[in-house]
Amino acid sequence: MNPTLKAFIKKELVQTLRDTRMRALLFGAPLIQLTVFGFALSTEIKNLKLAVFRQPADMVAQRLEGDFFASGWFKRVEFEPGADPVEIIASGSADAVLVMPPGGLGRAAGRGEGKIQLLADASNATKARVVETYAKSIVAARAAKEYGTAAEPPVRLDVRVLYNPAMESSVFLVPGVMGMVICLITIILTAMSLTRERELGTFETIISAPLSDGEILLGKILPFILLGMAVFTLVMLAGWLLFGVPVRGPLWQLLLGAFIFVITTVSVGTSISTIAKNQQQAMLGGFMFLFPAILLSGIMFPVESMPRAIMGAAYLDPLLYFMRILRCVMLKGDVPYVFWANLGALALMAAFGAGLAYNRFKQTLN
Amino acid sequence: MNSFNLHRAYSVARKEVMHLLRDPFTLALALGLPVVLVTFFGYAIDFEVRDITLAVADHDQGPAARRLKEVFSASGYFIPVEGGDRAIPLMDSGRAAAALFIEPGFSRTVRGGGRVSAQLVMDGSDNSKVTAVMGYLQGIQASAGKKLTGAASAPPLSVETRFLYNPELNSRWFTVPGLLSIIIGLLGILLTALTVAREWENGSMEMLLATPVRPLEIIAGKIAPYAALVLGGATLVYLAARLVFGVPFAGSHLLFVLACLLFVVASLAQGLFISVATRQQQVAMQLSLITGLLPSMLLSGFIFPVESMPVFFNYFTMLLPPRWFMEAVRGIFLRGAGLRELAVPFLALGALSFALVTLALKSFKTDLEPL
Repeated sequence: MNPTLKAFIKKELVQTLRDTRMRALLFGAPLIQLTVFGFALSTEIKNLKLAVFRQPADMVAQRLEGDFFASGWFKRVEFEPGADPVEIIASGSADAVLVMPPGGLGRAAGRGEGKIQLLADASNATKARVVETYAKSIVAARAAKEYGTAAEPPVRLDVRVLYNPAMESSVFLVPGVMGMVICLITIILTAMSLTRERELGTFETIISAPLSDGEILLGKILPFILLGMAVFTLVMLAGWLLFGVPVRGPLWQLLLGAFIFVITTVSVGTSISTIAKNQQQAMLGGFMFLFPAILLSGIMFPVESMPRAIMGAAYLDPLLYFMRILRCVMLKGDVPYVFWANLGALALMAAFGAGLAYNRFKQTLN
Repeated sequence: MNSFNLHRAYSVARKEVMHLLRDPFTLALALGLPVVLVTFFGYAIDFEVRDITLAVADHDQGPAARRLKEVFSASGYFIPVEGGDRAIPLMDSGRAAAALFIEPGFSRTVRGGGRVSAQLVMDGSDNSKVTAVMGYLQGIQASAGKKLTGAASAPPLSVETRFLYNPELNSRWFTVPGLLSIIIGLLGILLTALTVAREWENGSMEMLLATPVRPLEIIAGKIAPYAALVLGGATLVYLAARLVFGVPFAGSHLLFVLACLLFVVASLAQGLFISVATRQQQVAMQLSLITGLLPSMLLSGFIFPVESMPVFFNYFTMLLPPRWFMEAVRGIFLRGAGLRELAVPFLALGALSFALVTLALKSFKTDLEPL
């Protein structure tokens, strides 16, 4: 390797790692984010505020009410006698209200009219949907207890969740958070660095070095790729040690996937920095890439249910392919088809991104 | 000399406005970006999951098994494909997201009037799908019962749900106000995050400090023009929400504007605080994206309800302005909540704005010593 190039890479690494605050940001921020999101986020919705309207002597309703609060999903909301159920929701003090038949639930069920009214605050659609699901399953279980097998549904679906049978939130979410954190840190790190050199005027010094355009670009992005991989390794270790998230597939697949992904994001960051005129524009550019990349990656919303045109845009998102590799290798195991298909797509984007960065970079140099 | 002078604050604001006008890229972005992003993602994001490929391992091959498959495809959520013995490998390779196992004798038991069960296996590597499918199961089970046994035997106990404020559970009514909160908040942080750091880096801060302008005047002068800009962007988002997505607006417009104003000031002050405290554009940018982007998406209650978080983190989210704004905006838009119902979010937003402005002010060092 050209010794000037080597010196160049060393300079970039030293410059980034010299600053205490940069070091803290680079390695501390991803770790903190992984820990906070890993512990805070939960795929199970809990602590829903529920008010129950029933007659005091209604024994069936009383037992049903007990089931609701014993489930651990609901928190009891007290209310004044004679309060209006809708008013309780309108005031925001309850997410849902359960209204038992006024004549008593047991008697109504005897007449074949055992209907329980559920009012749900759908101004939060996610919670409203979950409230209904929980309520239906609790009521069905109570019906089976009260009225025996006759009340059981004629067809039952037994559900098993593969790869995460206990449905642990951290196992579901940590791979997604890892993908987001790596994407974020590599993009913002690279997007700013070049713009800053241009603003400070040190860029001219670099141009005068005895290196080809390609070598200068290499010297600029290789350090960031190395740093990105270091952060990825750190985050992966934390995911394993703190949350016990498994890596069921081969480790090399994970590292190779991360390597190609980091090349892509570093190239995107470099391209942004060649387009931006100042650091503020670089930052807004980084935001304009990151925001769609995260929302279209399938981490939070399934890509398959997006409208066709937007699905097309989602398939241009490198984070989508990286997420698929992460989820597959960490949770499923060694599935060559999934790994190579997504790695291929990612490699294509890396090549395109690097080409774009090289072109933009050459224009900036001249 | 020490008191707040409106004229001096105005001068700082005017200078900032001229900065903005000279940078049409940022100006266009601040006004246009929110409405573009909200419209795009308003269309894109849907909590409903459709067309899940369902690998069916039908070891029964009888009429009841066929009807069960019909129930799944009629639900609109699943596309059944024949999986045979390869149902699980199909899931491993990601070609199917769920599998249905029907045991031999299924149809015979149904004919005899007995109870049957089938096993549904889901791909747990994609949590967004698992959560959605869990919500559909009750309905599918009920319609399967009806379709297979014919007789509509009403269960002794049943639930009748009324969804208030969004009877059809339209995802858009829910996501569009949420997106407004995320984008406006981020933009606020990003716009001011570099303003002070930039002045320190290119030395113009020293000149500014040599003038009689006080820190509070600098901060007020820097926040005001951006607040106007972001509020303009929020207005465009409001129009898009009403006209493009038909989101109902049940509450008071005055209250909505007040919530936006408090939230925008809080975000701008957060950006300014970062800028003042770091004095370096690169660090300021990284800090603002790190403290802005993911927390506002993940910890604000946009997707993951804050009430489900462990107690400590539930309290922690109370320090984040987007959490309160999200609550206020959803309440105002759909529930038509008034100031009485939204007292807590409004007080919290006010307190956080005040605290962030104070923080920015306190960390504003007027001496020229390097950090």
